Amino acid sequence: MQFEVIAKCHTTKARVSRMTLAHGITMLPTFMPVATQAAIKGLTPQQMESLGVTLILNNTYHLNLRPGLKVLNEAGGAHKFQGWNRNLLTDSGGFQLVSLSKFTTITEEGALFASPFTGEPTMLTPEESISIQHTIGADIIMQLDDVVSSLTTGSRVEEAMERSVRWLDRCIAQHEKAGKKDTQNLFAIVQGGLDPSLRDRCLDAMIERRNGVAGYAIGGLSGGEEKDVFWRIIKQCAARLPEERPRYSMGIGFAEDLLVCVALGVDMADCVFPTRTARFGVALTHRGPLNLKLSKHAKDFQTIDEACPCPTCTDKVSRAMLHHTITHETAAAHAITLHNIVFQAQVMGRARAAIMEGRFPEYLKAFFTEYFGDGGYPEWCVNALRSVGVDLLEGKPDAKIIPGSGAKWEYADNGTPSKNI
Amino acid sequence: MSHPGASSFSFTLSSSPLSSSSRFGARVGTILYRRPNFNEDIEVHTPGLLTATSRGVVPHLSRDHHRSTAAVRWVNVPFETFLEHNPPVPTLQPGANPLHKFLGYTPGKQIMSMSARDLYDGREMPTNGQNHVAVYSLRGVRKLSPTDWWKYVNTCQPDVVFALSDTPFTSPPHSQKRLTKSIERSAAWLATLLRPTPPSNPSIPPIFLHLSGLTNAAARRAFSSSLLEPLYGPELEAIAPLQTLDEGVVGYSVDLVPLRQSLEALERKNPHPGSETDLNPVLPTHTEQIVDLVQASLEKLPENKPRLVNSTESPHEILRYIRDVGIDLFDAHWAQRAADIGVALDFEFPVRQAGKRDIGHNLYDSQYTFDFGSFADAFRGAAAESSNDKPVCPCLACSPLSPPSRLYHGYDTPDVSGEAPRTPLVPQPHFTRAYVHHLLHTHEMSAHTLLTMHNLTILDLFFAGIRDVLSSSPATFDEEVEKFVQTYRDVVSSDGIPGVFEAAKESWKQVEMARGKGRLAREKEKQELDGTLGTTVDVQIEGGPLE
Repeated sequence: MQFEVIAKCHTTKARVSRMTLAHGITMLPTFMPVATQAAIKGLTPQQMESLGVTLILNNTYHLNLRPGLKVLNEAGGAHKFQGWNRNLLTDSGGFQLVSLSKFTTITEEGALFASPFTGEPTMLTPEESISIQHTIGADIIMQLDDVVSSLTTGSRVEEAMERSVRWLDRCIAQHEKAGKKDTQNLFAIVQGGLDPSLRDRCLDAMIERRNGVAGYAIGGLSGGEEKDVFWRIIKQCAARLPEERPRYSMGIGFAEDLLVCVALGVDMADCVFPTRTARFGVALTHRGPLNLKLSKHAKDFQTIDEACPCPTCTDKVSRAMLHHTITHETAAAHAITLHNIVFQAQVMGRARAAIMEGRFPEYLKAFFTEYFGDGGYPEWCVNALRSVGVDLLEGKPDAKIIPGSGAKWEYADNGTPSKNI
Repeated sequence: MSHPGASSFSFTLSSSPLSSSSRFGARVGTILYRRPNFNEDIEVHTPGLLTATSRGVVPHLSRDHHRSTAAVRWVNVPFETFLEHNPPVPTLQPGANPLHKFLGYTPGKQIMSMSARDLYDGREMPTNGQNHVAVYSLRGVRKLSPTDWWKYVNTCQPDVVFALSDTPFTSPPHSQKRLTKSIERSAAWLATLLRPTPPSNPSIPPIFLHLSGLTNAAARRAFSSSLLEPLYGPELEAIAPLQTLDEGVVGYSVDLVPLRQSLEALERKNPHPGSETDLNPVLPTHTEQIVDLVQASLEKLPENKPRLVNSTESPHEILRYIRDVGIDLFDAHWAQRAADIGVALDFEFPVRQAGKRDIGHNLYDSQYTFDFGSFADAFRGAAAESSNDKPVCPCLACSPLSPPSRLYHGYDTPDVSGEAPRTPLVPQPHFTRAYVHHLLHTHEMSAHTLLTMHNLTILDLFFAGIRDVLSSSPATFDEEVEKFVQTYRDVVSSDGIPGVFEAAKESWKQVEMARGKGRLAREKEKQELDGTLGTTVDVQIEGGPLE
C-alpha cells in the first residue's frame, strides 16, 4: 500500500489522501458499500464501477460459508469470482460470529462456534482468519478481534481489548509468514469499548505495532451506544492514530455520522445502511431521506434529486414510479440502490473537494443546514464539530437542537416511524 | 390518416410462407414502426419476441440493463396494475410520451405495447359485464370499460395497443351462450376503440386484436367473419372512414392461458383418448387442438398482418406454432420465468451439436459449484478465445463490458488520483455458472439480473436462427425443427426424469424457505399460482442477519 496525505483541513482534523492498492487508487475519505455475499444487492460490478466506486467490502464469515474457500481458490480469488477489478476489503469474520451465533465462545485460542452446516464445534483462530482472508484475496484484510457489544461493561471489555492486542500479534505473524504483504494489507482494530482509558491502552499497544500494520480501524462502536460517547471515542482514537496510516471507522453510514467522523480525522467507513434502506424504499438526499413507500409520493413526478448525477436521477425516474414498484419489483430496489450509493459517494466526494479547497468548515455548515433544515440539528453533531472548531450554530440564534441520536427520517402521516435500518 | 403525427406501422413478409398449406406455413417478416415525431423506424424482425413486464418494469433489470439488452426491443405493459389509483397515475404524467417517460422505455427505440390485463394471469375473476372487463389490481378487482380504455390509451400514447377483449376468467368451461356474448362484446369494444378521435387528440395507436371464441372453432370463425363484414348505418358511422373492423387492426393475437384453461376443463368433463400431443412428450398438452383453433380464426383473415401468440412455454412449442400456423411473434414470459427460478437457458437453432440435452441449466444444482464456464455451452462470451468457434452470446452476463463512463465525485479524477481512466466498453470475462450458483444459494438478486439478460438474449438468438434458416435454406426448416425436438428435452418431466424447470423450481423453493424470511405474502401467492413474472426475490422486510 502507498498512502499519502495530500491535503489537510485548516480547522478540523479532516484530510484528503491517496491510497494506492493492488487494484487501483482510492481517494480518501471514502465510503465503502457492502457486498456481503460478493454482490452489491441486485447490481453488477460494472454498474458499481460506473458509479465511481473504487473500494467495496466483502464479509469473510459469509464467503467462508458460501461459496467456500475451495471455490474461491479455484476461481482465483474473490475479485475474479465476482468480476470486480477494483479494490476490495474483507472483515475478519469475528463480528458476524458474535452477532449471528448465540453459541460462540471466545477462548484465548480463538472463537469457538457451532458450524452452521454440521453443528460441530469449529474454531476460528486469528491465524485462520488471516489465512481465509488470504484466499479471498482482498486488498485490505482485518485482524481477528475479540468483539464485545458497545453496551457491555465491566472486566469483559478490558479482557476483550487485551485479547485483541494479543490476537493482533498472531495476525501480524501469520500475515508476514504467508508473504502476502505486497498485495494484501493488514489493518489493526482498536478496541476498548466506551472507556477512554481502555482505548488509550489499546492505542498505545497497537501504535507500538505500527510496523506490522498498514492501517487502523476503530471497532466496537455503532452498537447502540450514546452518540455523545461515540464521537468522543472516535475523536480520541483518530487523534492518536499515526498520521501516515489510513483510519477506518467500522459500521458508519448515516451522512451526518460520516461527516462528523471525517471532521474528526477518519478516512474510511462502511455500512449496509444505504443499500439496505434502499430495498425498503428509502432514498437518501441532501435534504434528508425520502421514504418512497409513503402514499404522499404516489403522484409525485419529480425525480429523487434533480441535481443528482446517479443513473436513476439522470434518467428522471419519478418518485411516483418508485412508489408504484418498491417492495414489489426488485428493479425498484436496484434504482434506489444505485442512487443511494451515489449519494454516499457524493457526500464524501464533496468533503474531499471542500478539504482540498480549504472550505471544509463551510461545507459542514451548508450540509447540515440543508440536511436538517428546520427539523433541528442533532446536539451531538453540534458538540462533536465544536470540538474541532466548527460551530454549526454560528449566526443561527434560532436554530433548533435535537437531543439524542437526532437521526433524520421521513415519517408516515400518522407520525409512525417507518424506519428500517 | 387524418391526424397529423399519426404513427406508422407496417408489416412486410419477406418470404412466401412455406409448405403446401401456405396460409399457415412458417414465414419471415419485418415490422417497421415509426412513432409520431420520430425520424427513425424501429425494426422488429419476425419470428421474434416481446418482453414481458410486471408493474411496468422488466423484472430484475435496471433501465441501463434493459436498454443494453438488444433483445428488449418490444415490451408489453399490462395496464391493470395502474388501476389501483383513479385516475391511473401514468395518465397524470406531464409532457410528451407520458407512459414511456413514466416507465423508462425509450420512445422511437423500444416499442411499448399496452394490454388491459396481465396476459399470464389465469386466476379466476368475477364475470365481465356488458360494458366492462373485470381486471385485477393490488387493491382488488376493478371494472374497466371500453370507453375508459380508449381514454387511457389516448392519454398514455403507447406504441401499440391491445383492444379490450371479453375473455371470461370465470370457472371454465364456458357455455355456447357465453362464447356468443364474448365474441359480440369483443367486436363492439373494438369498435369503441376505433371511433374517430377529435382532431385535437392524437390518434389511437396501431391496434392488435385478440382472436376471440375460445375453444369453439365455429365461434372463432364467426368472430373473424364479423371483423371482415362491411358495416352499415350507425355502425359504419361509428368507425368512419373505416369500412370494416378488420381495417382498423394491424395484427392479431392469441392468449394461450384462457384457451388452455378451457381446453383442460372440457377434457375433465369429457375425457377423450390421447391426441397426438399427449403422446408427444415435448409439447404442452392441447397444442394440437390449439393449432386447429388458431387456424380456424385465421382462415379468412388477411395473411399480411402479424400474428402474436402469448404465453407459450417452451421453444418446442414455439417451433410448432411457427411451422404449423405461421405465427410471427411470441412473448418471452417463460424465458423470463426461467430466470426467476435460476435456470440459464442454453439452446440454439439450428442445432449444431449432437447429443440429447436440456434447454438450460438449473444453476442451483451442485454440479455447477465449481463450473467456471459461461452460462451456455452453445455460445461463448465476447472476451473468450476467438479460436473457440462458437458464436458469441452478447448478453451482459456472458459478455460484460467495462462501463461506458464513470462518475467522479470530487478530487478523484485522473489528474488528482494519478490513475489513468480505464478504457470504456472493453469486453470483460464472463460471469460464471459457479458465481450465479453462489448468488442463487445466498438469495442474492444479482443472480436474476444476470439470468434475465441472458435468457432474453438466448431466446432472441433462437429467433434469429429460425429467421436465418427460413431465409437462406427454407427447404431444410422442417428437418431442423425435427432435429431440435430430438436434441432438446422438454422443460417438464418426461420418461420419469424431472425437467430442468421442475428441478429448478424445487431448489428455488428450498432456498426461499431457508432464506426468504421477509417475502411479501402476495409474492408467495404469485409463485404458487406460478403465474405472473417478477418475483421480488430479495426484498426482505426485516433487516435479517444475512448482510
